[in-house]
Amino acid sequence: MTGKMGNRAALVVLVLVLAGIPASIVGYQYWLRPALADHRVVDIAALVPENGGFSPDLIRVGVGETITLRFAADDVAHGIAIGPGLDIDLGQIDPGHVGEVTLTPDSPGVYTYYCNTWCSPNHWRMRGILEVVDPTAAGAVGAPPDPIIEALIAASVDIDAKPQLAEGISPDRPNGEQKLETVEVPPGLLDPTWRLSHTPAEGLVALQAQNPEVADDVLTDVTAYLWSEPTPTVEIKELFAKNCAACHGELGAGDGPAATSTLETPVAFADVAWFRRGDIWYAKIRRGGMGTDMPNFGTLFTIEETRLLVDYLWSLSFGES
Amino acid sequence: MKTMSRESPTDEKRFDVLGRMPRLRRMVLSRAFQPVLMLLLLAPFALAVTAGLLGTSAGNRNFGIVFVWIVWWALLMVLLVPGLGRFWCTVCPIPAPGEWIQRRGIIGGVAKLRTLGLRWPRRLRNMWLQNAGFLMLALFSTIILTRPSVSAAVIVGLTGTAVGMSLLFEKRTFCKYVCPIGGFIGLYSMVAPVELRVRDAQVCVDHRSKDCITGNENGYGCPWMVYPGKLDRNLDCGFCTECLKTCTMDNVVVNLRRPGTDLGKPVRGKRIDEAFKALIMLTCSIIYPAVLFGPWATVKAWAGIESLGGWLIYAAGFLAVTLVVMPGLFWLAVSRGQKRSCSGLTIRQAFNEYAHALIPLGLASWIAFSVGFALTNGSYALAAISDPLGWGWNLFGTREAGWTPYLSSTAPGIQAVILLCGLIFSVRTSLRVGFRHDPSGATTMQATSPVAVFLLACTLALLWLYLG
Repeated sequence: MTGKMGNRAALVVLVLVLAGIPASIVGYQYWLRPALADHRVVDIAALVPENGGFSPDLIRVGVGETITLRFAADDVAHGIAIGPGLDIDLGQIDPGHVGEVTLTPDSPGVYTYYCNTWCSPNHWRMRGILEVVDPTAAGAVGAPPDPIIEALIAASVDIDAKPQLAEGISPDRPNGEQKLETVEVPPGLLDPTWRLSHTPAEGLVALQAQNPEVADDVLTDVTAYLWSEPTPTVEIKELFAKNCAACHGELGAGDGPAATSTLETPVAFADVAWFRRGDIWYAKIRRGGMGTDMPNFGTLFTIEETRLLVDYLWSLSFGES
Repeated sequence: MKTMSRESPTDEKRFDVLGRMPRLRRMVLSRAFQPVLMLLLLAPFALAVTAGLLGTSAGNRNFGIVFVWIVWWALLMVLLVPGLGRFWCTVCPIPAPGEWIQRRGIIGGVAKLRTLGLRWPRRLRNMWLQNAGFLMLALFSTIILTRPSVSAAVIVGLTGTAVGMSLLFEKRTFCKYVCPIGGFIGLYSMVAPVELRVRDAQVCVDHRSKDCITGNENGYGCPWMVYPGKLDRNLDCGFCTECLKTCTMDNVVVNLRRPGTDLGKPVRGKRIDEAFKALIMLTCSIIYPAVLFGPWATVKAWAGIESLGGWLIYAAGFLAVTLVVMPGLFWLAVSRGQKRSCSGLTIRQAFNEYAHALIPLGLASWIAFSVGFALTNGSYALAAISDPLGWGWNLFGTREAGWTPYLSSTAPGIQAVILLCGLIFSVRTSLRVGFRHDPSGATTMQATSPVAVFLLACTLALLWLYLG
């Protein structure tokens, strides 16, 4: 019954099957495939934060080095973007699928790859760092201080103070646009920087002082129009929809699908924004809300994106043009 | 070489496959036949386990899930079991490592097996462990069928158990008494049109050396611990082909026969494990589509173990329906029939015998389920073959193949036809049992009609689930 040659051949096949298949898979994925690529390829497993988030969650790349980042959604659908300022959004990656991007950074900086599709209660924690280093330059890379936030801190503004709730304010923004020519607008109100550091209520007071003969309703409408300029772009609306709407709601009503699971009730811009300063919204967006579940987006958005986002919040309050 | 085997006890003609196909016969008689097939199948299973353990946890993109629970399962239930009976057990790679260790060789080992050779406890020489094992798999099926790592663990666990039992117990004790898959394959193989039998039982009686039991230089004594001379149903035979090799009297044949020939034969002893096997399988084949396709989202969530409390309710309900409600209803049907019958059977005997009538419908139900499942999810195989671990590979250029349900509008019709065929086959089997115990036929209809009503009710429930 014995057949030594046959047994040996079969044993070789058995070893090839049992050891060769796993070894081939691991070898191809982690050795051969990278070796065949003409630049570095990094495979990143994307899991909900409860299961580990991104792995790896820190990638270092040299200035001028080409790198391919391959994001594999391993559990649920994730939306992968890299910011700030790289303008990389891979869109939604369904479970078991892979999305990839190849980039060659030309300057040092710290970027964040993050999920922008609501994937779990801890969705906002799903972040990883892409650090672009210049081996020839000394010193650490990092973001410079933010002048708007610095100014708030210097002025002892409590960024995390709870907002006052407005009562029954529902301005007619289109009417404000029509009536703009009929009122005298103080120069400050036409300055976006001034508007950023003042509330619409303060703007209304300034308008009332300048136009005592004009009805408050009209001035309120004009204020609403001024504060919701410029007209939000499609990109900014999309940025809000992907990153903010899960908690704050698609229309900023504070009724997103995750609103019930946050520590504090998410701000409903449509109702309460009247009494907030834009620079406080700006600060909260960029560094997060202390004591709430509001995450920081300063590592994801550029300053310009954040400014436009704040303008969009006013649009949500006053209605879009 | 004879091409028609002698008359079987049921006087039905057989077609001696190997007698008419000498090349196939030579292949089957080769010692390499079974190990080569096992090795070939070991490769995709090794890939499935590797993918399960290392690959994406998204089941529909993991070869481990797609290959095992869509491709293999569909092939098994739609083609292999109904068409070739126990053939899967011939090529199954799960017990292979254990058997090769026992034999100290793959193609041909030594005669004395490396095992403690313990006898399997007499109390466990039945299908109860297989029943329990299948129920466990069924209870956790929503995670086994969707989580690659769990699926891989099940395969590794079964293989490890088979190896361990090979070292401790004689021959294929694992396959015969423990394997939850082999249990139902054996049951449903009785429907298949293929059988391994002896040509003439008297030749076996007269043959003193009984090489089929002891083994010889051509092969091992029956690994399934069966005496082929008394083999009269597929359930007991593992189709390992050893007796074909060892029989010096050229008395073992592989026959083509009329499907379901084993059904309705007398059941020996008082064991009800086989009857319960048939009931468990039929019940599970109803519960599965009810949970997966039925309108009860809460039950589906419970089955998916979204909460422990919910799953416990589901588990209790599942076990109650499978082990108490359905057997109870069937018992009532059988006992009601027996009260009006002159068969002289006890209720327990009738329960055992009429349980054969559940087998065709149960198999049809599993085929219907598997056909629908395969048509709906089969397209995942295209992506999985190119990217087996969900790592973004594109080996065959089909990675981006999207999910495409096939024949979605005609599938329910196909399923309905399969179920109705199963019902007819089952009713016919019950009549066969009834006529065997009442050859005059005077009370056969009275005895079998409650069983037929039970079968019809099961079929209607299934039709409702599939047709809506």
